[in-house]
This record gives sequence, C-alpha cells and structure tokens, in this order.
Amino acid sequence: MLRPERMRRLLIAAPKGEIDTIISELYRHNIYHIEDFVAESEAPEALSIGHPLPGASDAASALIKVRAIENACGIDPDNVEVRGKLPASKVREMIRTDLPAIQKEAEDLIGSRSRLETRQKEHEQRARELEPFAAIPLDLELYRGYARFAVFTGHVMHDVAIDVPHEKYFSDKVAGNMIVVVVQNEHREQVERTLLDAGFQAIPVPEETGAPADRLRAHNGEAQQINGEIAAVNQKIAGIRERHTDFLVACDELLTADVERAEAPLRFATTEETFITEGWVPGDRADRIREALEKATNGRIYIEELEVDDDTRVPVEYENPSFASPTQMLMDIYARPRYSEIDPTLMVAIVFPIFFGMILGDVGYGAVLLALSLGLRKFLKGDEGRMLLKVLSYASISSIIFGIIYSEFFGFALPWPALIFSRHLNIGGEAGGHGPQVAELMIVAIWIGILHITLGRILGIVNARRLYHGRHATKAAIANAGWLGTMWGILILIWSFYAIPMMPDLTGFPVAVAVGVVLAVAGIIGIAQENPLEIVELPTIISHVLSYARLVAVGLSSVAIAMVINFIAIGMMIQPQLEAITPVGVIIIIVGILVLLVGHVLNTALGLLGGGLHSIRLHYVEFFTKFYKGGGKKYNPFGMKSKFTEE
Amino acid sequence: MVDVGTTLEIAQASQLGMKALGAGLAVGLTGIGAGVAEMGIGSAAVGATAENRDMFGLALLLTVIPETIVIFGLVVALLLLF
Repeated sequence: MLRPERMRRLLIAAPKGEIDTIISELYRHNIYHIEDFVAESEAPEALSIGHPLPGASDAASALIKVRAIENACGIDPDNVEVRGKLPASKVREMIRTDLPAIQKEAEDLIGSRSRLETRQKEHEQRARELEPFAAIPLDLELYRGYARFAVFTGHVMHDVAIDVPHEKYFSDKVAGNMIVVVVQNEHREQVERTLLDAGFQAIPVPEETGAPADRLRAHNGEAQQINGEIAAVNQKIAGIRERHTDFLVACDELLTADVERAEAPLRFATTEETFITEGWVPGDRADRIREALEKATNGRIYIEELEVDDDTRVPVEYENPSFASPTQMLMDIYARPRYSEIDPTLMVAIVFPIFFGMILGDVGYGAVLLALSLGLRKFLKGDEGRMLLKVLSYASISSIIFGIIYSEFFGFALPWPALIFSRHLNIGGEAGGHGPQVAELMIVAIWIGILHITLGRILGIVNARRLYHGRHATKAAIANAGWLGTMWGILILIWSFYAIPMMPDLTGFPVAVAVGVVLAVAGIIGIAQENPLEIVELPTIISHVLSYARLVAVGLSSVAIAMVINFIAIGMMIQPQLEAITPVGVIIIIVGILVLLVGHVLNTALGLLGGGLHSIRLHYVEFFTKFYKGGGKKYNPFGMKSKFTEE
Repeated sequence: MVDVGTTLEIAQASQLGMKALGAGLAVGLTGIGAGVAEMGIGSAAVGATAENRDMFGLALLLTVIPETIVIFGLVVALLLLF
C-alpha cells in the first residue's frame, strides 16, 4: 500500500543441461521477471547470448499458422469466453492430427472468398461504366467502327446546340448528364470546341455489345449472385469459428507458451557449459521459487540474491487493496510509479470518485451510468476495459450519493431540500428555496483544492527523500516545503485583509500579516535555493488552487443543461398541451418526449466526459505535478496464466 | 417628463443586463482563448501519441493546461451572476 511491491533481485546460474527444467519451472511459477542479458563487448571472458531450445522454429511456424486461421475467422483470443480447459496433451495431439485439415479448409475458403470478391468488383465496375449509356437508346456496337464519323460520348453541363449536320442524343436522367454526338470527321474539331465550352468530359464506350440497359441488368444480377455466394462462404467460415474456436485459442495459448519457453535462452547469458540469468521476484515469493528450483534440479543450481542498487531498473508491480486496483489503469495512463517513490493509487481511488460525484451529483445520471457500467461488463472482455468499468461504477455510486445530498434527479429536485448546498438554478422560474449557493460551493471547492495541494506537497517532501540522495534530496525537500509555505503565506495574507465566509477571518490580527509575509518570503527563498528559475512558476500557486473551482463550475453547467432540457421539454412543450389535448398537441407532446430523451442522453454523455476528464485532470495536473515522477518499468513475469489449457 | 421611479427601475434592470452580458463575455472570450491555445498543443499531442502510445498521459496533461483560462472565466461569470 502506498508503495509498489517489494522486489528481490536473483541471480541464477546452472549447467546447461538443466536449462530445460529451470525454464519450465520458472514458467510454471509465473513470477520471475527476466532482466534481458545485453552482451558487453569489453567483458574479458565473453559471455554470449544463449541459443533457442530445439523445437523453437517448429513451434513458431505452427503458431503463425494458428494465428493466420484465427485472423481469417475473426477470432480474438482476448475476447473469447472460457468454456473449459483442454488438457495440453490432447491439444498437442490435435495440433498434429486436426490442425492441417482445419488450416486447409480455412485457406481454401479465404481463397475462394477473395476470388469471388475480385469478380464482384469487376462486375460492379462494368455496371458503373455502363450506367450513363443506359440512358441513351443506342446499342453499344453502334458507337464503334466508323471511318468517316467521329463519336463523342461523355458528361456535359447542359444540352448544347450544334450547327453542323449531326446526330445527337442527350439525357439529364443520369448524374452529370449524358450526351452522345455523331458528326462527320471534318467537323470534329469545331464540335469538340463547342462541347468543351459546355464542360464536356469524355467517357469511353464500354467494350460490350447489345443494349446497355440489358448489359447493366446482367452485370448487376451477376454481382448480386456473387454476393450470395460470398455470404455462403462467410457462413462456412463462421462454421469453422463455431466448431474450432476452443481448439484454436487453446493451440494459440499452448504454442505461445512453447515459443516463449524455447526462446527464453535468448535472454540469458551463457558460457560453454553454463548459463546465467538475472531477474526480479516479488519479495514474499522469492523463497518459494528458490526451493522449487533447487528441488527440480536436485541442487545442481546456484542462486544468489543481489542487492538492489538502481531503482530505475527494478520492475514495478502495484500493491493495493482490491477496491483500489482498477484505479491502477488510470495510473498507467499517466505513468507507472518508480520503484522507490510513493504509489498514489490508493489516494486516487478514494478521491477520484468523490470529485466525480461532486461534479455529476445526480441520482438519475448516476443510476444510468451505474447500469451502463454493470451492463457493459458482459460485452467487454479485455482486462483494461473491465477495470475502466469498475472505476466508472465506483464513480457513479459516488454520483448517486452526492445526488441525494444535492437533492437532484435528472435536474429535478428530490422531495427533500439539498442537505448541504443547493445547486438548483432558477430556470423556468420554478425553483423554490434559496436558489443556488454558488459562492459557498465555490469556497468548499477552493478548500478541497488547498487541502489536496497541501497533501501533494507533503508527499513531495517525502518523495524527495526517497528519490534523491545526499544534498539534492535535502534541497528538493526544502523546495517542496517552500512551495507549501508560500501557498499558506499567501492564504494567510489574503485572510488577514479580506473576511471571506467559511474561511478563517484574520482581519483583526496584525500578527497574521507578519506571519503571512514571513511564510511567503521564507517559502520563496526555499524554492529559489533549489532552482531560481522556479520563481516564475509562482502564479501557479493561485491558478492551481482556483482550478479546483471546476468541481463546482462544471457541475453547475451540467445541472443547468439538465434544467433547461426539462424546461423546454416539459414546461414549454408537454405541459401546455396537456391542458387541452388536440391532434397537433399530441404530436408536440411526442416531440417533447423526444427532446427530453435526447437531451438527457446527451447530458449523460457530457456529464461522463466532464466528470471523468476534469476529475482525472485535477489529479494529473494539479496533484501529481507536486510530487509524482513516474516512469517505472512494468513488472512482466516470465510465464503465463493459462486460460484455455491445463497440463 | 421623466418619472424618477421608472428611471431607477430601468437603471437597475440594465445593471442586471450588463452583469449577464459581462458573465457571457467572460465565459465566451476565455473559451475562445483556451480553444486557440489548445489548438496547437492538441494537434501536436495527437501526433506524439500516434508515434508513441506511452505519451498519452503527458499529452493529455499538456493539452488541458490552457483550460484553466476558461475555468477562470467561468468563476468570474458565476461570481458576477450570484
């Protein structure tokens, strides 16, 4: 909690004969994060990168085949429901016996589908070329083969008059109009000029015979028929998917594991007779894997625990209570924490829903989002999506709670008055009570900002001691304290000059001015001793605190939109019509209901975006910049959790 | 002939109107300002994210920095109105 999981660094050395046993043991345990070996040329006795185990290339090529079939059939292993595990031995057997047949079937179907698609495209192209000619009552062979006549065919802006002997057809039934002009060769240039003036664009005559309309019908019919054939092929491909998905994903998993295992030596250092690997194991499980390895190799292995020296090299795994773990995704979007710094996931997990609720405090919208996040869980099968939905469900529960406090339901008031501060605007002249308490809400938001930023700066002092060493650490810690001092100094100064409701009133105490000045000046000196350029950042103290006003501002705008929708739909459209129902009135009522639905759907989306983005932004920009460095490496253990197969 | 009472009413009403206008201007103009500022940052941020997915967090952070301007405008508007 509040810091990443402790890691221990292990060095494993063993004779090459044991490499198989050790790799499969490590893979089975799925906790060892391999530090890739990088050959250093200046090393005296050259360690070299290991060779893949035998069978690596076979497994890799089989895997490529399986992936190709999966691709063709549109199977995504991440989104496949687990329906039961297949035994690994059976899958291996089937890879030998069944896979080639499935592969052939799939390849044939894909091949014939692409041939059909090509043919379909050809027919459609022909049909497109024929379309303009179908408007002219001439057979296609009549356009060709004249020695003494020139034939113009093409699109034109408008019908043109031609002042030489000619034969002309014009149609404005097709897009871009169609004109056909036949003249004697000697008038060719003159007619061409006339036509070009009218925006003539020549189109070639299709190389076909017969009436264009018939040919057009024929091609269209052909394309239609091929469409049916493609659908039949797709049906067959869907059939493969239906029958073999379980087997294919199991193959994929098994072969991926085989390939990873077989290629593991590429990440090890080897000498002629031995191999060495370095890696990271979570602290509490290090002893277990040590024992397991020693047992598996009958003691023909050397394991040493090395010291952790450089914190940037340590892989980082979160360690949080289960309710906070979905929030790790929000952390990963920004950056994973460094190994030695504070992991703020828990704080984000608590504060993010509160901010979201403060912004979108509405029982109705909260319930809709909660239903959405629970309902979508069935359709989203990826890990990230599920985590996001969990975060959303916590946020919407908080939104419902704040809705009860604010007494809001889709912009309407609940039967009780707002428990703390009201956000009911006076829209449509219906709101009772004392109207919105914007100033009070704003001051609450500012208080939240002051406390949140103070927390951030205190964490900054702690982090400075953890991340840096020696004098740099002290300087950074003092600078953070300086920022804190400046902020509180400015606050005390403001309070000693102006009496602000719900904030300490220090106007009567001249001492307060002195304290404020001393705090601010000392703070500025504290900031400057680390880096004088930071002084230009001083205004951010005020802007960051004021930025928390968005908790109220964005929330109020969402309330305003909800109330406006209600007023337009109910107050202006539905209610007046209900007094005396007329046929036109019924239509207006239906339109009013539509406005109500569409408006609230839009406002839900806006509320989700506004509430989510602004709350997370307050963390990223205002909170994290005070203390958080990030940039830790992801802990990626060697191994796999098998979903579809079992040994 | 001007009735003093009506003039006062008119003055008060126009004061309210001016307040509303001022609030509108505060939000509108700061909105334009934030939009102009975010335009360049946003396009660069999208480019950077397309090159490297890991940039997303930083890109989002940089993109929303000018947004504070419009929040200030909104704060001013709300203070004017209430």
